[in-house]
Amino acid sequence: MASPEDINRLRQLKESEPLQEAWDHWTSTLKALEDVKTLLNDPDPAMKALASEEAAELNGELGTILKQTFPSLLVPPSTTANLSALVELKSGVGGTESSLFLETLLRMYMRFYQSNSWKATIVAENDNEGGGIKDAIVEIKGAGAYDTLRWESGVHRVQRVPVTESGGRVHTSTVAVIVLPLMEEQDAQKEALYSMDDIKLEVMRARGAGGQHVNKTESAVRLTHIPTGITVSMQDERSQHQNKRRAFQVLSARLMDRKITREIAERRATKNSLIKSVDRSEKIRTYNYAQERVTDHRIGLSIMNLSAVIEGNALHDFTDALKKDYEETTMEDMLESES
Amino acid sequence: MRLPLHELRWLKRAALDSNRPLESLVQRRLNHEPLQYIIGTQPFGPLHNLRVRPPVLIPRPETEDWVIRLAEHLSSSFSGRPLSLLDLGTGSGCIPLLLCHLCPNIVATGIDISPHATRLANENAEVCGIPHFRFKAFLGDFVHPGFPKAEAISPPYDVLTSNPPYITPDDYLRLSDDVAKFEDPTALIGGSDGLAFYRAIASLVARQGFLSPKATVALEVDHSQAEIVSDMLSPAGFKTSIWLDPWGKKRTVIAQRQ
Repeated sequence: MASPEDINRLRQLKESEPLQEAWDHWTSTLKALEDVKTLLNDPDPAMKALASEEAAELNGELGTILKQTFPSLLVPPSTTANLSALVELKSGVGGTESSLFLETLLRMYMRFYQSNSWKATIVAENDNEGGGIKDAIVEIKGAGAYDTLRWESGVHRVQRVPVTESGGRVHTSTVAVIVLPLMEEQDAQKEALYSMDDIKLEVMRARGAGGQHVNKTESAVRLTHIPTGITVSMQDERSQHQNKRRAFQVLSARLMDRKITREIAERRATKNSLIKSVDRSEKIRTYNYAQERVTDHRIGLSIMNLSAVIEGNALHDFTDALKKDYEETTMEDMLESES
Repeated sequence: MRLPLHELRWLKRAALDSNRPLESLVQRRLNHEPLQYIIGTQPFGPLHNLRVRPPVLIPRPETEDWVIRLAEHLSSSFSGRPLSLLDLGTGSGCIPLLLCHLCPNIVATGIDISPHATRLANENAEVCGIPHFRFKAFLGDFVHPGFPKAEAISPPYDVLTSNPPYITPDDYLRLSDDVAKFEDPTALIGGSDGLAFYRAIASLVARQGFLSPKATVALEVDHSQAEIVSDMLSPAGFKTSIWLDPWGKKRTVIAQRQ
């Protein structure tokens, strides 16, 4: 039987695998280079040319390992690497146009989840009477979902002529995206993010005599976390038990998010960290339909193929670039604090 | 009548899952057929796919709430020793199946007078992955004097649960179509004063040897009759308490033999 200690050791071993791999790659490349070097003075000119060509190649490879592979290993492993994510979308300015764009973004994310072989479920959705979706919450299950998507948090702006606009004027509307860290239920309990004494649980709508007398499908619940004032309402599931579970899941994710944000702020306060905490009111990205352009304002990256972002795979370009940007900042941060 | 957006979304999903035209499902709902019958399932606690079928009573959220609470109560007061449970008027089997699911130490028997109910309850045991040796539903009439001698009955029981019919005939006439036109009246009307089945249960549990010495009885009640039902059980040596449902109504009488 494996003890918890064994499992910890196993995890440690697994986590150090990339180090071993990088080192093995380095030594084997170095060894190959040394073997080739002896052939550089070979009397056969053909052999000599071949050797110098190979040496150049191996040198280049060593350079890459030195400049890219090794530094990337310095980035401390993410503490949130195993977390799934809860993505909340809320329509902002722009009325129905904002709700219509929210529907587009929701589709974009659902496609993105599929291409990453995560499991996505829409856990809450409020449709807008005039069309589109007012707000939605999507659960994305799978390791790495949070780390990949966390930089999607912020205000997404759309510039286009709305289908509802008869005058052909370009409107600017916004949708707010909030990506929350999602843990497995038992892990969330271990974190002890809240105490049941601090929770007010309300069931919505009166049922009259209730019991056998009525058979309505109202099972909406509302949770209030008294110390923070966070409230979560859930009515999308067909039983009260399920709505309650979902509501607690969302509450845990919001509290975990606060905890992570607080930790970043504390770190910054103590060591003048460069890592920014996410400002949810910041406009992070613009989708301009007329120019077929999507621009991420934080890293100044523009993709001149809007459909590829919304309907294809180009969202990966943004998430990859943002992740890289974060890793580079983390590294700079480490170097700063070293000196 | 306008369908609430959530109901429409559930119907859409059901239409998709079962390959039925959405239009006909919506039409049925507009004719007041309960959503649960149209979809064919009703989640009950962690039992996500409990089947429901006319005319068997559809599990209510009040019942879900007290059964989950009872499971916690039984786990803490009996600390895992094997328990035998009898559920009277088992309907879809929701009460004993959820208790079996939540408490691995429970072995349960369900009784119902309707063959529709016993068939559905046994089917639900399979859907919920509860094996035959842990739950079985039998046809039976627990009001009948010969009931304790019935073949399916093997006292003593450690736990007795029931959500018996408790609606009065007057109230029955005022029920909305969702309930009255589709659910079995025999699962709803509790005799002339709504209490007929509690009298039968009270005399059953008072019988020598029918319940084990420290047995627990849990009965769902109409909110106006909780005290009366509670008083019926006191002479048989029970200490009773009344649980409120999530809407603040007196919903369950819990009786503990001292």
